[in-house]
Amino acid sequence: MISLRNVEKFYEAGATKNYVLRRINLDVAEGEFISVMGPSGSGKSTLLHVIGMHDTAWGGEYFLDGQPVHKLGKKERAELRNKTIGFVFQSYHLLDHLTVYENLEIPLSYRDTAKRERQSVVADALDRFHIVGKKDLYPTQLSGGQQQLVGVARALIASPKLLLADEPTGNLHSSQGKEIMELFKRLNDEGTTIIQVTHSEQNATYGSRIVKLEDGWIVNN
Amino acid sequence: MGTIWQDLRYGFRMLWKSPGFTTVALLALALGIGANTAIFSVVNAVLLRPLPYRDPERLTLVWWSAPKLSLDQFPASAPDFVDWKTRSGVFERVAAFKGASFNLTGGNEPERVQSAAVSADLFPMLGVQPRLGRAFADEEEQPGHEKVALVSDGLWQRRFGANPGLVGQQVALNGESYTVVGVLPPNFNFPEGDTKIDLWVPLSFDPKEMSQRGSRSLIVAASLKPGVTREQAGVGMNLLAKRMAEEYPATNADWGIQVQPLTEAITEDQRPALLILFAAVGFVLAVACANVANLHLVRAATRHKEVAVRVALGASRLRLVRQFLTESVLLAGVGGVLGLLLAVWGVDALKAVLPSDVPRLEEIGVDASALGFTLLVSLSVGVLLGLAPALQRTRPDVAEVLKEGSQSVAGGLRRNRVRAALVIAEVALALMLLTGAGLMLRSFWQLREVSLGLDPENVLTMKLTLPAQKYEDASRQTAFSEQLLQRVMTMSGVASAAITTSLPLSDTSMTDFVVEGHLRQEDVEDQIGAYSSISTDYFRALRIPVIRGRAFNEQDTEKSAPVVIISETLARAYFGDEDPVGRRIKTGDGDEEGGEAKAEGKGENKDKNNAGDEEQEQGKGGADEHPWMTIVGVVGDVHRFGLDEKLKPEIYFPYRQQPGTEMALVVRAASNPSGMTAAVRREVRAVDAEQPVYDIETMSQLLSESIATRRLSVVLLAVFAALALVLAAVGIYGVVSYSVAQRTHEIGVRMALGAQGRDVLRLVVGQGMILVCVGLLLGIGASLAVMHTMSSLLFGVSATDPATFACVSVLLAVIALLACYIPARRAAKVDPMVALRYE
Repeated sequence: MISLRNVEKFYEAGATKNYVLRRINLDVAEGEFISVMGPSGSGKSTLLHVIGMHDTAWGGEYFLDGQPVHKLGKKERAELRNKTIGFVFQSYHLLDHLTVYENLEIPLSYRDTAKRERQSVVADALDRFHIVGKKDLYPTQLSGGQQQLVGVARALIASPKLLLADEPTGNLHSSQGKEIMELFKRLNDEGTTIIQVTHSEQNATYGSRIVKLEDGWIVNN
Repeated sequence: MGTIWQDLRYGFRMLWKSPGFTTVALLALALGIGANTAIFSVVNAVLLRPLPYRDPERLTLVWWSAPKLSLDQFPASAPDFVDWKTRSGVFERVAAFKGASFNLTGGNEPERVQSAAVSADLFPMLGVQPRLGRAFADEEEQPGHEKVALVSDGLWQRRFGANPGLVGQQVALNGESYTVVGVLPPNFNFPEGDTKIDLWVPLSFDPKEMSQRGSRSLIVAASLKPGVTREQAGVGMNLLAKRMAEEYPATNADWGIQVQPLTEAITEDQRPALLILFAAVGFVLAVACANVANLHLVRAATRHKEVAVRVALGASRLRLVRQFLTESVLLAGVGGVLGLLLAVWGVDALKAVLPSDVPRLEEIGVDASALGFTLLVSLSVGVLLGLAPALQRTRPDVAEVLKEGSQSVAGGLRRNRVRAALVIAEVALALMLLTGAGLMLRSFWQLREVSLGLDPENVLTMKLTLPAQKYEDASRQTAFSEQLLQRVMTMSGVASAAITTSLPLSDTSMTDFVVEGHLRQEDVEDQIGAYSSISTDYFRALRIPVIRGRAFNEQDTEKSAPVVIISETLARAYFGDEDPVGRRIKTGDGDEEGGEAKAEGKGENKDKNNAGDEEQEQGKGGADEHPWMTIVGVVGDVHRFGLDEKLKPEIYFPYRQQPGTEMALVVRAASNPSGMTAAVRREVRAVDAEQPVYDIETMSQLLSESIATRRLSVVLLAVFAALALVLAAVGIYGVVSYSVAQRTHEIGVRMALGAQGRDVLRLVVGQGMILVCVGLLLGIGASLAVMHTMSSLLFGVSATDPATFACVSVLLAVIALLACYIPARRAAKVDPMVALRYE
């Protein structure tokens, strides 16, 4: 599903180049659940954002679902991303002034989904994640675990094939973290490909493979 | 005291540390306060400051009014004046005056001097003492008394080299010797009007004038007795008017009396335009304040941590409020000082461009009142600006704010609502200003489309007043004019030249008239018309088209049958499609003639002189003062009173048949005539070496001056509206920019969730434009409610003109869209990586 070839990213600091990612070669098959690990500053989040196409300033080749991302223009990348990828953030990044329902609806509105269809999809999601009772609450009225649950529901609302999660349990206490990881496992079992960045060895065990990064290099694959 | 100093020092430092905020805020405040101070200086000098006379609140002008004849503020006759003076009971002093002008000779160059004939009571009434010599004595009002004059300070300096020995000396006025009895103080100019008065002579009435009760030409000023109000004076004078109507029914029936405050009389023409301008700058200041208040709120929002720390360290709420207020008052104070500097410059600029007919022009300046006004405005603005953030920001949740790593909470919903309300107010105010300016601009545009009725290009005009003593009889007046025209016509570059006794856009001579076979018109405006005596080439010189019949010619002499030419408006009103050529018309004492016409129907009536009301004008002479005159032609209408005035009937007499001492020379040149003045002046001197010319202007200048006040109002209003527009645009930009900065993270999330540039653009622009649309709607509503106050300043356009409203709304919306678009574009370029980096 994903094929990265010699992907590199660096920042220029005067005459020198500070590499964040170096010659990354990575293949991810459909249905895999990969955990990316490594010390702080090793390039984990950067790699996730390159795969998520939020970061565009990198070199090398990147194929997603057979499409050469490195050759695509901005618009095509956005289309491919919207069709294929969902994102879960460590700090949930729910929009504070929108209700749970509206937060779930937002990604669909960016995909030009008709209102009636949006209503039905959001209703399904609320049901599936058991948060119907919370639909009119604002994020600040939810616990951290509930917020991340909404964050995951939001990431999956447009039925992406690939779920990217950046420290999804980083702000949660252990029982909430466990619930989220079990949810990820279920989703993976149902066919969603997942790449998560994590510091937790325990969370990594939920995945099928671990990719370790150090100083921008993949040290095991 | 020490803590205030500390607050001040801290305030200065805060302003210094935020140069962007400080510059924008100071600029907005300086422009707002400066424009207000400048216009206040004008309004104060012209409208508010008491007149420089004794007890100015007791000074009034007293007028006749005849509502049935649609006549308002009509002057009085000599016998009326005497009756008012002796029988009123409500006035302490009553004085009369009328305009005059004299040829001052005896120096190198004869000079036309604008003068006034005034009652001896005038100067004591005004409380004005001459700087040299004395005012008039009562006996000097008597006919036959030695002729005396008072001169202005300006004339004394200019003409007599400020010679302190001038008092007691003789000067030659219209060829007669007058003794100068005094020099009036600098800046004394009474009566206030278009022209500066340089000479005053006593007003005296001979028996003939005292018998002409229907000849109303005196303006009467009076000071109320102490304790008598203007209303009481009005009641008392109207009782007198009733008694006079019974005593003199032929001349005084249906006439009432108006008592008008002198201040109002002097300023009433300028009052609407000045008040509109004052309101306009008030709006500009309001927009500027809303702008700065917004910036203030934004800035205060970034200081929540500082405030929390201060509270944690023990600052009381009062102290915090004082800190915020000190900063805002400091800001407004500095803005006020800059505004004052701008105002000083602005007032000089305004004085240079204000039309000369603005009363008390020389008194306009940034004085103590203006300083006080600026101080008051600055302080009020400072307190207003500081109040909202001071009250909002001085109750922080210290524990929450000071939590380690807490995110900046840049504004809750309520605070955002305050900022949104400020933007809405800015847009609404800017729209109102733009609408006002738009309506004025359209009026001006419409006015420029009006045809004057003559061709003003390449026409030089100048005035001459022949001294009555020297040119007593009609033949001498005619001889002078013909000699002059002959000489001017031979000058190179002159295409044609003519004489008129009443120059369009400059002079006003009105008469009532009766058309043979027509009853009096119901509409009194149709039986009063402008008149002038003209030489034969007048229509050719001014290119006024002769529509029917003929122009005057050499056969129209004092000995031939009296003839007239009428204007198209008069012809249409009385003759419709019929040809008026050959029909007859007469001018004269309206009431008597009208009565005759009504009584006798078609034109068999004979003229009778109204007993005692003998003809004053020379040249009409003979037993038949108001003869029937045959219409020999119809000419195109001329907007002689100004492009914005309704066309009035107009009657032209041949100069030879009705000559006069007051005349204007019009010279059509082949090209720009401004260089011909000296040559024409030489020709005048060649005919009469002692004859001065004055008011030398091209017809184009006269036209330009006639719309000068309107043009200035348009320009000033447009400048203020543009200022408001820019300030509003900056305000919208500021709020949207701030919102974008505040929401960078949210926008990043949205983009991470799939939003594209256009989605973000739509989001940001949409939210900004909602505020703009609400502001536009409120502005339109408010404009519809208040624009009628501008009606008197508009021409050819309604105060609710949909096209103007639509245009200014679209203009404002487009500018606002741009102001939203720039930050929105920045928002659309938010890099989700950067926005989400710090998790």
